[in-house]
Amino acid sequence: MLSKDEVHTIIFQALSNVNDERGPDEQLDIGPTTILFGTHAVLDSLSLVSVIVDVEAAVSEVSGRDVVLTDDRAMSQDLSPFSDVSSLTAYILLLLSEPAL
Amino acid sequence: MTSPLKYAGKFALVTGSRRGVGRLITEHLLEHGANVAGFARGEATFEYPNYVHFQVDVSDPASVQKGFAALKKITEVVHIVVNNAAVLTSQYAMIMPPAAAQAMVNTNLLGTFMVSREASKMMRKLKWGRIINIGSMAASLEPIGDSVYAACKAGVSTLANVMARELAPLNVTCNTLGVSGIQTDMLAQLPKDKIAAVIAGLPLPRFAEPDDILNVIDFFASDRSSYITAQTVFLGGVN
Repeated sequence: MLSKDEVHTIIFQALSNVNDERGPDEQLDIGPTTILFGTHAVLDSLSLVSVIVDVEAAVSEVSGRDVVLTDDRAMSQDLSPFSDVSSLTAYILLLLSEPAL
Repeated sequence: MTSPLKYAGKFALVTGSRRGVGRLITEHLLEHGANVAGFARGEATFEYPNYVHFQVDVSDPASVQKGFAALKKITEVVHIVVNNAAVLTSQYAMIMPPAAAQAMVNTNLLGTFMVSREASKMMRKLKWGRIINIGSMAASLEPIGDSVYAACKAGVSTLANVMARELAPLNVTCNTLGVSGIQTDMLAQLPKDKIAAVIAGLPLPRFAEPDDILNVIDFFASDRSSYITAQTVFLGGVN
């Protein structure tokens, strides 16, 4: 089971990967409140997909568990897991707290 | 003059690599310097120094994901994907076994999607990729008996076209080669008179030769084809 800090680190790294592709004037301000999805999102759609792919891969590698962040369950949450970094972290921890299938 | 090793430094993945068109393309890529991984349900039917074979059933998403997990242990990059694996049952729709129809959808369409999906994740970081789907003249000619097969092959063109848009920012192109009749095990399943009638009706009324196919593969896979995407090229004058 990963800790909250470990999940944060994974998400921050994924966002940092996005920053690597951006110019100096387009850098994301990375933190727990970074908005990932919605009206005030800092990511375009392809960048969000990249973050999801990177996070899924990293969580799988570190935890030994496959997680799927974009299934129907994720989309039906009252609060979107992609609202911001904190909500994504909470959703990943929720998935990891459940028994593996 | 074209280098005999035009694929040197490239890593390619070919599905359905054991025989027919898949084997033809695999051997072509190998002979021109590529490292190639093959996905197929059965064991390898040939050996080559730069070839690695994975027993993967592309109709099963879990098998595809396991295959990619194994692939990632030997390479971090995939430059070229050729989605060739396909199954064919030709039969009047009214008597087509549902299981056969489902198998065609799962292998020909879902399999192509799953392999493209996983490969594009690997191409993403490289910012270079070529996804080539093997389509069929059936998608255009819509022959009797091929309702599901033709629909799947039309589907792989559409799949490539949509993914071409999604992956364009990553410099990954997605195209489809609509193969006409070439003498393979798959074609041998069909009645000879039916095949002869189809071939006779083509603007270029002959079977495809291996080089007809490889020529288009080389075109789509080329570095020079970075501005060629979401295209379907049919052989033999089919359109």
